[in-house]
Amino acid sequence: MSAVIDSGHAHDEHAHGPYGGVMRWVTTTNHKDIGTLYLWFSFTMFLVGGMLALAIRAELFQPGLQFWHPEFFNQLTTMHGLIMVFGAIMPAFVGFANWQVPMMIGAPDMAFARLNNWSFWMLPVAATLLVGSFFVPGGASAAGWTIYAPLSTQMGPGMDLAIFALHIMGASSIMGSINIITTILNMRAPGMTLIRMPLFVWTWLITAYLLIAVMPVLAGAITMLLTDRHFGTSFFNAAGGGDPVMFQHIFWFFGHPEVYIMILPGFGIISQVIPAFSRKPLFGYSSMVYATASIAVLSFIVWAHHMFTVGMPTAGILFFMYATVLIAVPTGVKVFNWLTTMWRGSMSFETPMLFAVGFIFVFTMGGFTGLILAIMPIDIQLQDTYYVVAHFHYVLVAGSLFSLFAGFYFWVPKWTGRMYDEKLGKWHFWLSIIFFNVTFFPMHFLGLAGMPRRIPDYALQFAGFNEIASIGAFAFGLSQILFLWIALKVTVLGRGEEAGQRPWDGADTLEWTHLPSPAPYHSFHEQPVLG
Amino acid sequence: MASEQTPKSASPLQVAKAVLGSFLGIRGRAAHESDVTQLKPAQVIIAGLIGAAIFVLSLVLLVRFIVGSAA
Ligand code: HEM
Ligand SMILES: [Cu+2]
Repeated sequence: MSAVIDSGHAHDEHAHGPYGGVMRWVTTTNHKDIGTLYLWFSFTMFLVGGMLALAIRAELFQPGLQFWHPEFFNQLTTMHGLIMVFGAIMPAFVGFANWQVPMMIGAPDMAFARLNNWSFWMLPVAATLLVGSFFVPGGASAAGWTIYAPLSTQMGPGMDLAIFALHIMGASSIMGSINIITTILNMRAPGMTLIRMPLFVWTWLITAYLLIAVMPVLAGAITMLLTDRHFGTSFFNAAGGGDPVMFQHIFWFFGHPEVYIMILPGFGIISQVIPAFSRKPLFGYSSMVYATASIAVLSFIVWAHHMFTVGMPTAGILFFMYATVLIAVPTGVKVFNWLTTMWRGSMSFETPMLFAVGFIFVFTMGGFTGLILAIMPIDIQLQDTYYVVAHFHYVLVAGSLFSLFAGFYFWVPKWTGRMYDEKLGKWHFWLSIIFFNVTFFPMHFLGLAGMPRRIPDYALQFAGFNEIASIGAFAFGLSQILFLWIALKVTVLGRGEEAGQRPWDGADTLEWTHLPSPAPYHSFHEQPVLG
Repeated sequence: MASEQTPKSASPLQVAKAVLGSFLGIRGRAAHESDVTQLKPAQVIIAGLIGAAIFVLSLVLLVRFIVGSAA
């Protein structure tokens, strides 16, 4: 540790600053540094995944094959899904947890600082495996992000690389979750009782338990795939006494909780932003906590709504149908509470609030299409069509991604001490929400008309809506370059008005009330005193 | 952590209510407050598992009833 140098600008006298240069980032155990690493990593993966998406939309702009071989097209859809889910959305939420959880509960750092460093640095390795798999013989995995057997037991080494990457990212998530749970349960400042905990912290606590529960299930499924592929087992091979449908059961037992893992922390962010810009406390705080917990529990008993077309006894179909529809109740409670929080509030619509209100609007549409898909007689028609693609992009892009944007604009003044460019931020919102809908709304019609997903070519009658969707997708992609500029400007270039300690007068959690902006490298080394 | 300790432990009824409230996603602030101070984690987890089992069982029964009457 002899290389530790005082970097001069450290705020507290007793604190030592970071290493200089690259080593700062390689060796850091600081929750803010690690949060920053997570956020830049996930944004990079977002751009990579976005490029794959544009390659898909370019091919689908017109019927016929223009750019890619069908095999390569399947690699594009697969890697787009894997990279967005595991490389962009999940790590971005962990980045927010790193930055915000310690500051919001009055803790000096995460509980296991070195584990935290390790959780992050596994991710670039996994990302390299994923992206690198395009260049091995046979190319990347082309079995879809759901890697169903027996497709996934047949492919080349690209599939093995994807399996290893998933293992590594799963381990990273589990370690991150252990860290988050321990931090929240053990390191809250005196007076920060569970009942006073901000909702973002609550949602992450519950999400972390979900992650610990289901990431090992995914690990088990892909390990079985690996041994089926290389060590002569036949878990998923009917010829050897196994069952390919079992893969789907195991995958979705992970997969459905996984989709909630990607939305619950987003609910948490929205639950911070809406009250702050409505200048009212969150309506139904307790219901929100309970609704989150029940969504988490119920998410374990609905998985087979992804498998209605596989074939199931009627009793099984009805069970999963009813359970799925019931899970919409706590979700509805949340939407109701956000709306009630806004009711008669003195609202203002800066960029974080725009994204939050946009979130409620579009996420709710995604929830409704989910309900429609949960009705088995309808799903029989719509399964594996573009209707499903529309559903999950409404909940994941307009849900998870928009909540991440809301959180970024909300907290970046605290992180950097400067305000982002409000005018450009508003542009970013309007461009995003308009082109999001231009891209994905027509997909409902495509799905209803019967266009299957994951195909490089389609029948002529689908041409019109596909053209619109592709134009929307390119415009949406370009709008995110605007976001890159906004983010660079306020973080790296340090341009923008000084934010002051509490730029949002309605925001009342500890990071706003107790810490200056930018938050010092080491915050809450002395426990804050709460009333 | 709270300054005035309330070591009073919760009745099974209160645990059940908390879990039910959780499944619906509705719970009043005061009730939540006493939940958080009085319920032990083990109680909540066990009650949650029982609640989930009851929920699953009643759905299974309902489904059986429907399938049975259709046939
Ligand atoms: C009201 C709540 C929801 C309901 C009732 C619901 C229902 C469904 C159903 C029935 C399907 C299967 C469609 C099919 O394959 O035929 C589905 C697919 C999907 N849902 Fe949802 N959903 C809900 C919320 C969400 C949320 C919050 C997310 C993520 C943030 C999400 C992500 C997905 C994804 C990724 C798929 C597609 C998986 C695939 O086949 O690749 N859903 N949903
Ligand atoms: Cu699902």
